[in-house]
Amino acid sequence: MTRMVLSGNAAQAHAARLARVQVVAAYPITPQTTIVETLADFAAAGELAAQYIKVESEHSALQVVVSAAGLGARTYTATSSQGLLLMHELLHWASGMRAPIVMGVVNRAVAPPWNIAVDHTDTVAQRDTGWIQFYAESNQEVLDTVLEAYRLAEDPAVRLPAMVTEDAFYLSHTVEPVDVPSSEEADRFLPPRDARAILVPGTATRLGSFTGPDHYVEFRREVARAMERVPETFASVEEEYRRVTGRDHGGPLPLYRVEDADTVLVTMGTATTTARGVVDDLRAQGLKVGLAKLRLFRPFPVEAIRSLGAMVDRIGVMDRSFTFGAAGAAATETAAALYGSPHRPTLSGFLAGIGGRDVTPGEVTRMYRALLDDRASDVRWMDLEPTGGIVHG
Amino acid sequence: MDRTERTMIEIRFHGRGGQGAVVASELLAQAAFLDGKESQSFPFFGVERRGAPVTAFARIDDRPIRLRTSIDAPGVVVVLDPGLLRTTPVTEGIRSGGLLLVNTAADPASLPAPAGVRRAAVDATRIAVAHGLGSVTTPIVNTAVLGALAAATGVVGRTALEAAVDRFVPAFHAENRAAVDDGFAAVRFAPADAPAPAPVVPVPAALPPWPEGPVASIPSRALRTAAWRTLTPVVHTERCTRCNFCWKFCPDDAIGFDAEGYPVIRLDYCKGCGICATECPPKTIEMVAVAEAPA
Repeated sequence: MTRMVLSGNAAQAHAARLARVQVVAAYPITPQTTIVETLADFAAAGELAAQYIKVESEHSALQVVVSAAGLGARTYTATSSQGLLLMHELLHWASGMRAPIVMGVVNRAVAPPWNIAVDHTDTVAQRDTGWIQFYAESNQEVLDTVLEAYRLAEDPAVRLPAMVTEDAFYLSHTVEPVDVPSSEEADRFLPPRDARAILVPGTATRLGSFTGPDHYVEFRREVARAMERVPETFASVEEEYRRVTGRDHGGPLPLYRVEDADTVLVTMGTATTTARGVVDDLRAQGLKVGLAKLRLFRPFPVEAIRSLGAMVDRIGVMDRSFTFGAAGAAATETAAALYGSPHRPTLSGFLAGIGGRDVTPGEVTRMYRALLDDRASDVRWMDLEPTGGIVHG
Repeated sequence: MDRTERTMIEIRFHGRGGQGAVVASELLAQAAFLDGKESQSFPFFGVERRGAPVTAFARIDDRPIRLRTSIDAPGVVVVLDPGLLRTTPVTEGIRSGGLLLVNTAADPASLPAPAGVRRAAVDATRIAVAHGLGSVTTPIVNTAVLGALAAATGVVGRTALEAAVDRFVPAFHAENRAAVDDGFAAVRFAPADAPAPAPVVPVPAALPPWPEGPVASIPSRALRTAAWRTLTPVVHTERCTRCNFCWKFCPDDAIGFDAEGYPVIRLDYCKGCGICATECPPKTIEMVAVAEAPA
């Protein structure tokens, strides 16, 4: 293990290097580009023995790794925002063809208007494509989760693609200390992919070709079953990761200071770090508040949310994206999970950090105060309140 | 509720795309880490354009850093281009007792700052040019500025800075180390009792207030992009033939006309690309450094 000061994008690239990926498909987009640039440096320096394939679009990038994964290769690609949207068709192909791709996604706002800052709309909009989705809070978590995602995606019980996301700039371009496992540690955790491929050169095999009503639903049900096996499989993957590296990140819904809490905020991504400090401050004032980080968004951690709901009186959910015509995605998913539970706390949704607006300690404090005062519905669009921050540009 | 006041030092860099502000912030974080500190650095890109204002942030602490937000109350503000003092509210939110460090040949006592802020200057441009870093027109001043920052604040050691240069700057290691040393030696302070001019009211760089209603478009000229400009076009009308070429070639509607048909540059909008000056047949348009242009 070496401690290095790395950006989130460098952490993605180091994880792909440590996973000994065999095929990388590369197409640039801000703020992802430095991931594939760093991988190009690794390949050029002989530190990564991968086929590095430059393509003409994100659609092609994903097609390349879908095909390579079908032949048994361990693959990696990365994208962001508009590039992910262009991949949408192939996202379905990847999961339906059971390609255990791991993809880094830098969460960036969707145009228009054009914006390169953080927003989760790009990945939230892909929640129905059959991909496992992790949201990371720190560059350490980015690196560790990419390695874990390979074990999870390639597990015979799962065999689905996974995306590991990081907030634009707040992680992608933020440098901070990261513990980088040695190759020996990474190899011990992540052996080479099982070479039994679906497609074998020289043997005529069909994958994803025409299937009528007689069998189509069975294929879909298999994907659904694989998704259902993710929580249990991930628990053993993370246990193994801790055994090898001494670190884990607390499963699908890590909790912070929820013991005897009556009010809990659910966050995704980097807002979680800032919220931890706010929880400490409010606890010091005697308020019984806690925090839950939605680390795994697909499959949605229904059981973990229900367990949390049984412990507290109020849950607030902060979404960094907006779903037109409905509320925030994490808020509606949380509501759906709790509806089937006998213990249903009060639930409120907040929209904050949209299009890169800062989620400050003050904003998080206002969310907790609104929850505690049972007036959360008054402050749903956090960003539209005056903040008095500096003017950029 | 203010976690930043205990041991954390928050530093905000203001520069222009291409000057190295982002790298300066990263190098500082790397050097602080080599000093055994926890550190964090990240940039904010308003627009991805060379010459446009860039902000970068660095936090240094003895403990793990638990803030992932922009820095709006910095203890230290570092300005890599003195032209930004005229266009960008660089000292916005700076803490009382904080430090403003500017790359300038000018007397630090002349630097505008709120009361209670210490002021320092370093001629990093001269140092960068002397060591052949960047070009004469676009010197890369970041390592010289970091040397001055180390001397002025002690937030990071000079040895750690030099080690960070060796490990993370891709080229010109000896020159950059020398720039760190020269910057360290050349920092100048304004006397504590010297009165500071008030910060100038900057050209607004932000959007106008959001118009109520179902608005999907904003007139381009409502975007006040003057802060992107490092060179200002000055029209010498005595030689102008009123051919309108400048207007035709301006890529972004920054040129209008006066009552007699002479071109008038919209200075709150012009980004200073210089295409008008290049295309003008009788060469009546001169590009002048912002700091020297008539107000």
